[in-house]
Amino acid sequence: MIRYTVQRLILIALTLFLIVSIAFITVRMMPGSFLKSRNLPEDVRLIIENKYHLHEPLIVQYKYFVSDFLRGNFGVSLGLQPKVPVFDILKQKIPITLQLNLFALILIIPLATIFGITTALKKNQLYDHIANVLVIIAISVPSFVFASLMQFNLAYRAGWFPILLSTEKALTWSKFHSMILPIIALSVGAIAGLTRYVRAELAENLNSEFMLLAKAKGLKQIQAVFRHAIRNSFIPLANMIIPLFMGILGGSLIIEQIFGIPGTGPLMISAINANDDPVTIAVLFFYSIIGLTSILLIDLSYGVIDPRIRMGGKR
Amino acid sequence: MSIKTSSPPKIRKPFEFAHDRSQQLKDDKFETEPIGFFEDAMLRFVKNKASIVAFWLIAFIVLMSFIGPYMNEYGYKDQNVTINYMPSRVPGLERLGILDGSKVRRVRYSSIAEKYQESLIEIVREYEISGVRMADIRFNDYIYRGIADKYYFFGTDALGRDLWTRLWRGVRISLLIALIAMSVNIFIGVVYGAICGYYGGTVDIVMQRFIEILGGVPTIVVMILFILYYGSGILPIALALCLKGWIGMSRMIRAQFYKYKRMEYVLASRTLGAKDLTLIFRHILPNAIGVLITMAALAIPRAIFQESFLAYLGLGIQAPEPSIGILLAEGQKVLIDHPHLTLFPAILISTLMISFNLLGNGLRDAFDPTLRGIE
Repeated sequence: MIRYTVQRLILIALTLFLIVSIAFITVRMMPGSFLKSRNLPEDVRLIIENKYHLHEPLIVQYKYFVSDFLRGNFGVSLGLQPKVPVFDILKQKIPITLQLNLFALILIIPLATIFGITTALKKNQLYDHIANVLVIIAISVPSFVFASLMQFNLAYRAGWFPILLSTEKALTWSKFHSMILPIIALSVGAIAGLTRYVRAELAENLNSEFMLLAKAKGLKQIQAVFRHAIRNSFIPLANMIIPLFMGILGGSLIIEQIFGIPGTGPLMISAINANDDPVTIAVLFFYSIIGLTSILLIDLSYGVIDPRIRMGGKR
Repeated sequence: MSIKTSSPPKIRKPFEFAHDRSQQLKDDKFETEPIGFFEDAMLRFVKNKASIVAFWLIAFIVLMSFIGPYMNEYGYKDQNVTINYMPSRVPGLERLGILDGSKVRRVRYSSIAEKYQESLIEIVREYEISGVRMADIRFNDYIYRGIADKYYFFGTDALGRDLWTRLWRGVRISLLIALIAMSVNIFIGVVYGAICGYYGGTVDIVMQRFIEILGGVPTIVVMILFILYYGSGILPIALALCLKGWIGMSRMIRAQFYKYKRMEYVLASRTLGAKDLTLIFRHILPNAIGVLITMAALAIPRAIFQESFLAYLGLGIQAPEPSIGILLAEGQKVLIDHPHLTLFPAILISTLMISFNLLGNGLRDAFDPTLRGIE
């Protein structure tokens, strides 16, 4: 187990390094630079170029970049907030994004399990059919369409919610109030997907033989469902939650922009548009780290949650 | 137990046909026509009402994406800034009071008589703001701007371009991107999965490690880097969707090959001298055709979604050319004042995605009824 984890960690480090290198080369070879402004005097431009080694060949720049990067130094922002260390910018933005996503996750898991269990128990009844239709709609309609529609109808027309996120720093009631719509927009699709999954798993388990045995032992239907069927159907569910989180994080790129949330999504977009290379690389690095750790967690959790699944490549 | 000592009963002719030669020993002929694989799937597919409706909806949208842009005289890049943000107006429907080119605006009460005399429909509300009499009025924007004879079915955007024309053209481009992405994904997925699954062993291990590393990189990151580097045309965007899209496809094809390659009929064919290529494409791959078609149908909505996603990030198709994502992203910026610019693309993309998902589910149930209800 430990050996496997260490192996995986080394692989992750290598992958991360590869991604960052590719990101560096791609971003640097992009046309346009933050220095292309016309009214910048020539000598100022030279000074800046000298300071950030921009006039040297790409391979030399890459050397500087890697040595800085390995020391945990992402450099300073060039275009967006000049001279501010990238690390400080990220430190402001990441908590906002994570907060939003964690709230969404907190909403998704209980709702999805409740809907999943109830639809499986009432399979092929009216409730199940209605839920099925809603699930198909919620899975298909993109989250940004939901966000736009809710922003217009619930926030602007009905005036129940603020249109944009409130700018308070602390998490107060009014701040949470303005976060409700983005959270809903983020979670609708995920709730639907998870509901469908739980329903399929549970419906399969309800017909299995251990349920027959449980009933033969004299358990009531409800006891058998809660003690045996649900426990078994949650095993795959646990493994779905982490990729789910990854999915919400990707989706929140756009939701953040729609609701004016100053998270990592808008940061990346403005960094790309402003040709602010260090910030762009750092944000891409952040997304890669989350993605890779989540994959590692899934693989490790297989063994913890269900010991029947063996570790590693030996099959 | 006693040992039987008696000799076996005597048979007069030891080797004799059990039946008379004149007596024909044949299976009964089937009275019905034999049903092939696709016919069988088709039988199940047409029973699924939702999928049929979805199929016709998709057919309608595809048809409209070809004839829609030519149904009126406006081109997709005809700009006219004097008629920007026109509300939608449809002949016929305007008599019913919906889509009649009307707008609600807050004006000074005194200006109603001066400016809005001809175009005024009704006064919604009157009130006072710091001593000035104001009113919310509903007026016909087409008459107000002096183009009473024109009809923009879905209104116009910030530059006065006709949304109807742009929307259908955008659907065409989004579908084109989705189609390219899907075909490339299937091609790479099938070839990669087939090699992995058929040869197995070291080849398989090495190729699977590669997939693992690629799968570890977040999709958004690779897509963004790719588009940053290659610019945003139809082809770069379509290929960006393929960077990781083929992985799922190849995993499935690999599983199919593992399932079928040890079967007797493959062994028989190999004994007869069939080459690897023949075995792969002629004997094993056709088993996966049902799954392949289903995956193709489900890959299209994903591609449409990702294209809009990129457009929202500002990495969509280049300027005058529309796509659903571009239109949605443009509409989002002026959502509060001009909701029609978001509404129509939103309805269309939702219909398209729901239809494709329903069609995909229907196809999956039809080709493999055992998978029904399992995601």
